[in-house]
Amino acid sequence: MTKVLITGMGAISPLGADLPGSFAQALAGHCAIGPAPADIAKWLPDILLAPAASEPHTLLDSKHASLDRASQFAMVAAGEAMTTANITPQPADARRFGVFVGVGFGGAHTVDGLYSRFQSAVQSEGKRNPVLMHPLSVPRMMANAAAAAISMRYGLNGPSNTYSVACASSAIAIGEAFRAIRDGYLDAAIVVGCEAMLTPGSLLAWNALRVMAKPHADDLARSCRPFSQDRSGFVLGEGGAAIVLESAARASARQQPALGELCGYGCSSDAAHLTAPSSAEQVYAMQQALDDAGLQPADIQYLNAHGTATETGDVVETESIRTVFGSREHSQLAISSTKSMHGHLIGASGILEFVLAVMAMNSGSLPPTATLEVPDPRCDLDFIPQTARHGCQVDAIMSNSFAFGGSNASLVARRYPQ
Amino acid sequence: MLEEIIKNYLINTKGKDASLFNDPQLQVAALELDSLDMVEMLFEIEDRCGFQLPDPTRYPKMGFREMLADIEAAIREHNNGELPDLRLEGEQ
Repeated sequence: MTKVLITGMGAISPLGADLPGSFAQALAGHCAIGPAPADIAKWLPDILLAPAASEPHTLLDSKHASLDRASQFAMVAAGEAMTTANITPQPADARRFGVFVGVGFGGAHTVDGLYSRFQSAVQSEGKRNPVLMHPLSVPRMMANAAAAAISMRYGLNGPSNTYSVACASSAIAIGEAFRAIRDGYLDAAIVVGCEAMLTPGSLLAWNALRVMAKPHADDLARSCRPFSQDRSGFVLGEGGAAIVLESAARASARQQPALGELCGYGCSSDAAHLTAPSSAEQVYAMQQALDDAGLQPADIQYLNAHGTATETGDVVETESIRTVFGSREHSQLAISSTKSMHGHLIGASGILEFVLAVMAMNSGSLPPTATLEVPDPRCDLDFIPQTARHGCQVDAIMSNSFAFGGSNASLVARRYPQ
Repeated sequence: MLEEIIKNYLINTKGKDASLFNDPQLQVAALELDSLDMVEMLFEIEDRCGFQLPDPTRYPKMGFREMLADIEAAIREHNNGELPDLRLEGEQ
């Protein structure tokens, strides 16, 4: 089985318009969370959002203006990852180069726009025809719109597959691309996660689930508080992230340096409850990923937790991590939930957190759980409270993603000697 | 105005060379629009006239000016022979 190397990474997130900017803000403990715009706040005055740091269409050619916002995030992130990997369109081995995308919802902006237009026309007293919709509505809103746009942009003829597994979507996209290369089906892949659902319609739906963070009395931006005693839920974010994966042979043949080796993937299903997590299956996903990598728990120095700041989720994840890695007294593992700063990007969260973890591995600087001021006693591990940790020796990292619907994914990466 | 709406769409959104439209004999097929481009172009008009134009597959066989005349005829047919104001709300 071939080694799978990470040769490019990119991101557009609430923390920054690119990956270095996003990582720098994460290390600074910057929380990119704020109030909702007026069209949402008039219905949901307490709802908080983490909008992207930059409008994606401003970073793309005008020909991509008609894509849904989620696909635009995907294109921006993919562009950065392909540029850092020094890959240009139409590679000679295009049929051995796949596209793997994770997205939770897909074209939420297109769907919301469609209903908004319909309602507006219905109420126009006959001035406008409610039946007339833009003919690209379906191609914009379809879940695989981003994968299609990326495969066409770069002329990639390998499979272009989309994984929709709620909060684990892009972690599973990474894992499946990893297996496809490791097992010889492909030589390279661009993996992307994207999400853009900060729309009135989807936020009304999320609000109904009662999982959204309440505004923090002292500072709105610090309202998402994973592992904290006063946590109240998560904040929906938007954006995209991407990685380029290549077989060691392909990267070596073109003398492309690696940013790390993707070496382990585990996945499982709770098969128990739509939203409540199960520790046993989270543990199984993490143990699979370690076994896949041939690593012991002590070989991992940093873990980017799923850490959504829900009452149940944080306690169950803590229990799962403790089961795999041991208690705080018996483990050197440093853990953080960067959702405290960039919010929950749902389909894009797994890959954004994975690339932040790889950046942490390569820099030795670990992003904090920025809002962790009063730890929940049940969350008793080293969650890097409030401030980043620098000068750390990190040889391997893990990133967890646990989804509504009970799907769990864990990824492991390690340093790759140049 | 009909001609301007379509030309603007083709030049600004589809990147067609503006000089193409100086040729009075321009054929729609020469614009190299695929079926998705064609329905997107027609939507620019439909959004303003309030109904769906029939059978877009006819147009690639026509000259550009013939297509414009055909679209105008269809709009007039829906408006008792009149050509309505095609400006969208907010357009001057």
